[in-house]
Amino acid sequence: MKTKEDFPSINERKPEGQKPDGTPFRVLVVDDSMFVAKQITQILTSEGYDVVGQAADGLQGLERYKELFPNVDLVTMDITMPNMDGLTALQKIIDFDKNARVIMISALGKQDLVKQSLLSGAKNYIVKPLDRKKVLERIQHVLSK
Amino acid sequence: MRVEYINPFVEAAFNVMKEVLGGDVRRGELYLKSTSMPVMGVAAIVGLAGGVEGRVLFDMDKASALSIASAMNGEDLTVMDDLVKATITELANMITAQAVTKLHELGFQFDLTPPAIFTGDNMEVSNQDVEALIVPMETGHGKVEINVAIRERA
Repeated sequence: MKTKEDFPSINERKPEGQKPDGTPFRVLVVDDSMFVAKQITQILTSEGYDVVGQAADGLQGLERYKELFPNVDLVTMDITMPNMDGLTALQKIIDFDKNARVIMISALGKQDLVKQSLLSGAKNYIVKPLDRKKVLERIQHVLSK
Repeated sequence: MRVEYINPFVEAAFNVMKEVLGGDVRRGELYLKSTSMPVMGVAAIVGLAGGVEGRVLFDMDKASALSIASAMNGEDLTVMDDLVKATITELANMITAQAVTKLHELGFQFDLTPPAIFTGDNMEVSNQDVEALIVPMETGHGKVEINVAIRERA
């Protein structure tokens, strides 16, 4: 007879949002759309990440990053935002902390800005509409490096 | 107005709505309006300016907007609040971005305004000197009309 020990339990999978020491990765979400910010936050918290801050434009995002530093592991950065766009905010964050891990969130058709962001130090990018699997894969990839 | 302008919007609306809403999306018959026309209650508008100019309107009734926003957020939303508006705005954003990428590939050059959202009863939209092409799209969450009025710059 098979006992339940013969089957791997999917429930014992470690959430992706945890570091090897069991504490969660800390994420700052910068997006001017309440909907997108909520969507990213839901995807991340469901995998055990800790969303430690949200900001609605680039300027706020930069300020939040400085406040949180060094207790922040990753930033998701929208590109098109009022006050300060995501590319400028990225550059200022990298000036402040050259090891910052920033992932750009872009609408389709912003290839030039995405390219500039990657050249400016962004670690990866995700194109909207956001797909749960894609978001988690890209983020995990950046954090595993 | 040339039909080339509307097809990318219809294709993009089809792709994006299918992806974010799931289920079936059906395209209705295209029609043309040259005078003022009623708006159903919730309208997201994106302006275009450059080599071509005009605007794209995503028009739906309130019940459809709530149902679409509920599906996109994975929760039951019953009032037209900021989250519902942000969600419909983002839907318009994603559709327009995909359509514009296609139009840029076809050689049309122009910039977009960020989407604005209008809500209210008995609204009407009028276009001076440019007729609007409208494609109704049926989703499992109600009807969305893609209303495009674009012309080449004089």
